[in-house]
Amino acid sequence: MRRAIHAEWTKLRTLPSTGWLLAGTVLAIVAASLVGILSTDTRHCPTPAECFEDTVKLSLGGIRLGQIVVVVLAVLAVSGEYATGTMRQTLIAGPRRLTVLAAKAVVVAAAVAGAGTLGVLGSLVAGRLILPGNGFTEADGYPPPSLADGPTLRAAGGSVGYLVLVALLALGAALVIRDTAGTITAVFVLLFVAPIAGLVVTDPEWRELLDRFTPMTAGLSVQSTVGLDSLPIGPLGGLGVLAAYSAAALVAGSALFAVRDQ
Amino acid sequence: MTTTAYRSRVETTGAGFGGLVRAELTKLVTVPRWLLTLAAAVLLSVLVAGLAALGAGQDNSGGDGGGPPVAHNPLEPFQDRGHFVHRELTGDGDLIVRVDSQEGGGWAKAGLMIRAAEEPGADYAAVMVTPEHGVRFKSGTGTDLAGSSAASPTWLRLTLTGTTVTALESPDGINWTGVGTVELPGLPAKTLAGLFVAVPDEVVVTRQFGTESISGNTVETTAVFGSLAFTGDLAPEWGEREHPTGPAVTDDRTGYTVSGTAVTVTGTGDLGPDMFSPDATRMTLTSVLIGLCAVISLAVLFITAEYRRGMIRTSFLVSPARGRVLLAKAIVIGGAGFAAGLLAALGSFALASAGGVVPPLPDLFAWPVLRALIGTGVMVAAAAILALAVGSLIRHSAVAIALVLLALLVPQVAASGLPLSAANWVERLTPAAGFAVQQTVARYDVAIGPEAGLAVLCAYAAAAMAFALWRQKRRDA
Repeated sequence: MRRAIHAEWTKLRTLPSTGWLLAGTVLAIVAASLVGILSTDTRHCPTPAECFEDTVKLSLGGIRLGQIVVVVLAVLAVSGEYATGTMRQTLIAGPRRLTVLAAKAVVVAAAVAGAGTLGVLGSLVAGRLILPGNGFTEADGYPPPSLADGPTLRAAGGSVGYLVLVALLALGAALVIRDTAGTITAVFVLLFVAPIAGLVVTDPEWRELLDRFTPMTAGLSVQSTVGLDSLPIGPLGGLGVLAAYSAAALVAGSALFAVRDQ
Repeated sequence: MTTTAYRSRVETTGAGFGGLVRAELTKLVTVPRWLLTLAAAVLLSVLVAGLAALGAGQDNSGGDGGGPPVAHNPLEPFQDRGHFVHRELTGDGDLIVRVDSQEGGGWAKAGLMIRAAEEPGADYAAVMVTPEHGVRFKSGTGTDLAGSSAASPTWLRLTLTGTTVTALESPDGINWTGVGTVELPGLPAKTLAGLFVAVPDEVVVTRQFGTESISGNTVETTAVFGSLAFTGDLAPEWGEREHPTGPAVTDDRTGYTVSGTAVTVTGTGDLGPDMFSPDATRMTLTSVLIGLCAVISLAVLFITAEYRRGMIRTSFLVSPARGRVLLAKAIVIGGAGFAAGLLAALGSFALASAGGVVPPLPDLFAWPVLRALIGTGVMVAAAAILALAVGSLIRHSAVAIALVLLALLVPQVAASGLPLSAANWVERLTPAAGFAVQQTVARYDVAIGPEAGLAVLCAYAAAAMAFALWRQKRRDA
């Protein structure tokens, strides 16, 4: 297993696209978070204290954008090998397919977790520095985000976990579909179908179902730190829904990976 | 002695542009999974529209919750509200009043009205004065004529002769100037004539719990009328029609007092466009987003697959003028995108109409609806050309697809998390502005007009295409 991980790490590390994509992940997260942070203030609140703004969730808004780069990275880790035929050499070097797959998942997850952590920390620092200037002051009940605070730590760690789970979902889907373009499109549609359908569906029951059981909206509920009672699904439960999707994709992917010709 | 360089006598018969287009079309239709993708794009969009029609059971048109929605025409929603204090008039009549003062904001309205019945939507003609927009004459949903820019105190006059209503205004009650005339053939012999006040709801943005909501807050207006002089066969008693009548409105916000020739009227609700009416067509067509994702991937692959397989060298061998190859590709993929987008839009609209969505969909052949349907086709075509250009520039399927989807999808979704002012700018400046073409109703939350939005997307596509053509000549294939 150690050798398999080492081999996968070498492959990922030496691809020129990996560095760009990981840097892009950090940049996308921080830049998109900044847009949200900079454009939000208390102007339209009844009073700043009655805004009940979730400053942690607001600061971590860039995860929505960052996940797109993560999907590309994870899909390429698999479909790139099929496109170039490297997969055959990989399996000659390591004929135990599930070991190869596990090593790949570990390496991709670790890379995404690293980039995600940087992006999350950068976003939180940006929120900490900028939000008090926009009216979200400590006096009005918005303490600066701090990782010493339990819910904030859960939101920050959960956001990194969200990115890792999205990467594993994309990895599993890529093993099933094997085609770069097809997988990326399918994963995007799966992730964004609920927010898109949410624009159309007005029936409250349908909306709640969509919010609870689609990967993106459910998974991102882990970012909430206040008003947990009014959420369609709890923070950890939501991440669990996403984990179920990722697990299903990985199981389907590994089953097909084990039985199909390469 | 000079020697002439050798020139081949073989005639060069390069493929004409028509031939190139045919070649690209052949490439598109002979890859089975590409055709399948196009079909799936249409089917998925229609399917989602059908599912959404099932899910769109309840109308949440928002607004102040006051009174029933007043829909003459779903494409030009009009609210016929306000407080109307009237006496019954038989036959011809002449109404004169002086509006002494009014309050309630720049668009508060106070004046005279003659209408066929109390119900919203009945035939009416009204002349009114506003604090900041002068004297106006309104009838039905379409007639809205401006008079002078006078504000109260000013004199207003409305005369009914047969079925013709004429509005006049005067600064002093002696010298009258016409504001407008309207023919109301459906006016019965007994009409209601009187005074009315109206005021638009105030659009209020509230930020709480991390999201912003817009609501129309009921505003109250009060006007003091004097020198009331109604002539004609008028019933002695006064009646009133209040609006809105919903539970949100308490009774003490609307009322009237008459003492001699002076009348004070207080009321809420507007006589004018309803900015909170739902846009059923746009909601139905949102499903085309799903099909759009598939078309974008296809358009990127249409060029990146050639680079990956080396096919592009053959293409450039056939037509050494590289720009023409890319243009032919743009025409083919644009055409395919247009067809897929139009079919998806028509299918979604037809399925949702048949499914009986609430609110009901307007007539297919009304111009805003046709514009939305055809515009959806153009939007998908422009997105496909943008994707082709990005694919040609980046040559890497995964990155190109992600970039284009990012530009088109994320603004739609991310906008919901941003403050409204920022979200509006995102909807104006990104390629996602193209979705504005699906608007059919003027609403309070419109960020950019339909044609302008489509133009933004087309400009992105054209710019990307121009850059791709320029880069293509300078790079190895």
